[in-house]
Amino acid sequence: MIRASGILLALFFAATTWLVATAPTDSMQGAIQKILYVHVPCAFAAYAGFIVTGVSGALYLWRRDERFDWWALAGAEVGVVFCTLNIASGPIWARGTWGHWWAWDPRLTVTLILWFIYLAYLMLRSFTEGSERTARFAAVYGILALAAIPLNYYAIDLFGGAAMHPENLERDSLGAGMRLPFAASVLTGLIALWHLVTVRQDIARRHAEVPEITG
Amino acid sequence: MREGVALCLKDLLIEWRSRDRVVSTLLFALLVVLVFHFALPGGATARTQENAPGLLWVAYILAALFGLGRAFSLELDNDAIAGLALAPVERGWIFLGKAAANLVILALAQAVTALAFALVFELDVFAVAGRLAGLVLLGSLGLCAIGTFFSAVAVRTRFREVMLPLLMLPLLVPVLSGAVRATTSLFETGSVPFDAVQLLIVTDAIYLIGSFLLFDFVVDE
Repeated sequence: MIRASGILLALFFAATTWLVATAPTDSMQGAIQKILYVHVPCAFAAYAGFIVTGVSGALYLWRRDERFDWWALAGAEVGVVFCTLNIASGPIWARGTWGHWWAWDPRLTVTLILWFIYLAYLMLRSFTEGSERTARFAAVYGILALAAIPLNYYAIDLFGGAAMHPENLERDSLGAGMRLPFAASVLTGLIALWHLVTVRQDIARRHAEVPEITG
Repeated sequence: MREGVALCLKDLLIEWRSRDRVVSTLLFALLVVLVFHFALPGGATARTQENAPGLLWVAYILAALFGLGRAFSLELDNDAIAGLALAPVERGWIFLGKAAANLVILALAQAVTALAFALVFELDVFAVAGRLAGLVLLGSLGLCAIGTFFSAVAVRTRFREVMLPLLMLPLLVPVLSGAVRATTSLFETGSVPFDAVQLLIVTDAIYLIGSFLLFDFVVDE
């Protein structure tokens, strides 16, 4: 089945690839700076996926409707994939520009903790028996995990090392001609998330409808 | 609230009669100290003393993981957990009663572990005993809140021994970060930084209130 979100994703992916290929090369960093167009969209998509999980979990506890649990599962799974891509692409860029593979920078550390939290969330789901109990436990963990994010950020910001990531909200750090490809790549990342989450929750729905397939 | 106190006293009475958890948690914590001694050879040097507060908290967290895993397995015998679920009380009080009993049991193990650290790393714990006890209590509140809560979750999963640390540790970063910072400063300068204590208080409050409210969803109907 071809979905509208899939067609949209294919179009955006093609356009973004062309925009990124023709985007100006950074005068200081060279070609490696183009990792930006993969690294940052993956982070945004991961955060969006985790928000889907948290909100769907809370809605599940409130309404006790199985459909919210499918969205929660989809958000976490797809979010972890994007978070993995983000954490994997970061060190490649960091090695080229900062000179080391890893730095305990606040934003990096919080993303790493998030990755662990949502992997634990997926493990919890696979180790719990019974779909109702799984949904309940997962929703509760998802909510406590959301509460832990600002605490972690505050703790690491307070005591962690110097920030290596640019504060983009405070100052404009993109060079001339990079804004359009950057915006397009972020949008493509979010469309990819939307597409994959809808597909994943659809699979979860089918599994629930035909339980003998999954056992 | 009365029910929470009763549950806490019940757990402590069982512990008083068997002494299983205190003794095994303590023995485990002392073994961790022994392991640290061999991981940092050379005895009490300036370097090991500098790292001792962080190691002390690692020992506390490992001991808590070891002890808390059993907090709810106690209730699996004779399906006592079903009785708890059926009891006509606010479920949050069940959580608080359990967490309070865990805090007392952990505190006993922590006090002896601190003495062992003082011996091995030649730390002057008596000079800062009161403030150290206060800090350990602040850190342990968050530790026991999250630990008791996830112990109730993990006990109903397969591989429960694996699940508890996986669920707990990522959420313990603020507790560990604040506690280590404050304890290090206490041993180095004799004073406790306000920002670390503030972080511990806020984390404790969020974890205690969150667990109290969400515990209703953890107990099976």
